[in-house]
Amino acid sequence: MEAIKKEYWKDKANKALGISPEDARITKSYLIVAFAAILVGGLLGLLQGMNRAGILELPVWLNYYKVLTAHGLLLVVVLSAFFTIGYFYAGLSHSLGGLLPKVRKMAWIGFWMKIFGFVLAVIPILQGDASVMYTFYPPMAAAPMFYIGLVFIVLGVWMLAFGAFINVANWRKNHKGQHIPISFFAMGVFVLLFFGSLPVAIEVLYIIPWAFGWIETINVMVSRTLFWAFGHTLVNIWYMTAISAWYVFVPKIIDGRRWSDLLTRIVVIALVIMNITGGFHHQIIDPGISESVKYMHVFMSLAIGFPSLMTAYAMFAVFEKTARKKGGRGLVGWYKKLPWGDVRFLAPFIAMAAFIPAGAGGIVQSTNQLNQVAHNTMWVVGHFHLTLGMTVVMTFFGVSYWLVPYVSGRVLTKEINKLGVIQTIVWTIGMVLMSGAMHWVGLLGSPRRTSYSTYFDNATALSWDPYLFFLAIGGTLLMIGVLLQVYAVFHMMFLAPKGETEFPVADVEEDATPTPMWTERWGLWIVLMIGLVSMAYVIPLVDFIVNAPPGSPPFKTW
Amino acid sequence: MKGIYYVLLLYAFLMLPPVASLMESVMIIHMHMQMTLFVIIGFLLAPVLQKKFPRFFEEWNPNGIPGILLFVIVIFYWTLPRSMDEALNFWYIELFKFISLPFLAGVPLRDSWRKISPSLKNGLIILFTLLFILMGWLYIWSPNQLCNNYLMIDQITLGWGFLLTAVCMIIYLAYSYITDFAKTV
Repeated sequence: MEAIKKEYWKDKANKALGISPEDARITKSYLIVAFAAILVGGLLGLLQGMNRAGILELPVWLNYYKVLTAHGLLLVVVLSAFFTIGYFYAGLSHSLGGLLPKVRKMAWIGFWMKIFGFVLAVIPILQGDASVMYTFYPPMAAAPMFYIGLVFIVLGVWMLAFGAFINVANWRKNHKGQHIPISFFAMGVFVLLFFGSLPVAIEVLYIIPWAFGWIETINVMVSRTLFWAFGHTLVNIWYMTAISAWYVFVPKIIDGRRWSDLLTRIVVIALVIMNITGGFHHQIIDPGISESVKYMHVFMSLAIGFPSLMTAYAMFAVFEKTARKKGGRGLVGWYKKLPWGDVRFLAPFIAMAAFIPAGAGGIVQSTNQLNQVAHNTMWVVGHFHLTLGMTVVMTFFGVSYWLVPYVSGRVLTKEINKLGVIQTIVWTIGMVLMSGAMHWVGLLGSPRRTSYSTYFDNATALSWDPYLFFLAIGGTLLMIGVLLQVYAVFHMMFLAPKGETEFPVADVEEDATPTPMWTERWGLWIVLMIGLVSMAYVIPLVDFIVNAPPGSPPFKTW
Repeated sequence: MKGIYYVLLLYAFLMLPPVASLMESVMIIHMHMQMTLFVIIGFLLAPVLQKKFPRFFEEWNPNGIPGILLFVIVIFYWTLPRSMDEALNFWYIELFKFISLPFLAGVPLRDSWRKISPSLKNGLIILFTLLFILMGWLYIWSPNQLCNNYLMIDQITLGWGFLLTAVCMIIYLAYSYITDFAKTV
């Protein structure tokens, strides 16, 4: 009886509170930019795939490297950051009783700062002065405007991070002794966004005078190290955004309960503390870092895998428990009871399943010797298309089928759900083909970040061609997937029938033990994170700086 | 209590010659990782010892002060450059390191931490912050090589490690000052 009462009250509160139009506008704007980015970025991806397969020769004014840089920036920085922020701000608004007026203002300032920064960065890319790719570290140098644009993007992100902190701090002040609700994930993500972007901010501030020519040379190794401290964290921010949906929303969609709240929070805390140092496994073949230090960093990187294993366990436990409650039987036969026809479940489920090979591939790359084989080959491209393009983005797609109607005050119709299921299937086939081909051809030696070449008809290079065809076929299917998805979002945003859509937060089990309050000691987690990052970076950075080589002048290789 | 076997396993693993020499090959890892891990092992072993010898701890460490003093003395000793050199040069000093850090630092720390007052806890963190700033200053700006076994670059790295750890402790102190743990713990 007690449980029924509680639920009833909660439902009522949810309906009454809803999302305020001002908060909805923020999320809507972020999502519109995110899906516009996927439309353009996806098209650029298709052009690259076609070029790599030798089917399409890009005109001189639109060369491969320009397209690659724009594709990376649009999908890696714009799509993921805008979706993450729009999604978490809706979550903050829902769970903390609406955004504070000043936080809303900060969200808008941050939004326009990022848009402004993005425009500044895109102009030199289009002019062909910034084909430095998304990683942009020296010695390749773009036009200064590109880096100034990046500074605005970072400042915009910080604005949003601090907005979230202020809102959470205000909530805590008014709810002493209570747990931060589902916004716990948002806290983790914004803490990482802030601390992860600190190193890249330092790097960019150091590059700008070099790009202007005010200083002649730059320390390449310091720049690379600062970049990857950010680059790897960014990857895990998307991943954490995706798992937040798995933990909190997917159980509700399948009519289940959340798995242990304590385990969920420990996963978030562990990811926050251990993430940034993972940047080192991107530098396994970099010079200047001794073997023993690299070896020890393998432990750090593999440690990040541990919370992922906890997640995998928790997810499948929730599925099995829920399916058995609905009458599922047998060792694996219970899977029939899961709502496979519901895109809000299907897309995140396939995303999760994709993380099994994707995570395994990541472990391969983090391992010193195996990295020697895969480094800078198409394998790596395959890996991050499987993790980002499938695990993360498919979760985002799945989320969009309730988040977009939630903020637009509309409902998900049967037709759009069906379209979503088709989109999910198309995307899955496309990504499996493309990413599979990339992994395989990478093992055969095909390099990444390289325009189409047969290397004077070298036999090995020619042997890559069949795989590269698969890459192009997969890319084409993905483009169809992009179009279907963007149409679905457009429909749910502007055309679907008006109605109430729930913000689907799952409850914990009835007999769940209360979560201990020590999980809320964010200051302590941040201190531990800073301590760990300091310990991890002090050895190479001191070495790079004290024993610095003369440094590198800017290079324009394109 | 099953966890105790894992702790002992970790203890044995860290003492294995290849593991120990890998960790000792880098000065900062020697001091800030290996030594810290030995203290943590003592910290994790403490409950078993407290259960086995309750009278001993009651008698010798009734209010936590003797334990903390012992902890401070042992840790201060191991921050000296000379103590690291000796641990590398003489097997019996190395053995002393393996024993002293868990049993004379980790165990007394755990036993004392719950017994001492919050102000003493903060005082202890402040003491170590000051010590770490001092050691950072010493290792970074010393014009001479302080350890025979390590190069100047190792020394500078260790110095920065000390300073960064001090910064972390300062942030923690500031955080604990502005946060009411009674409501959030």
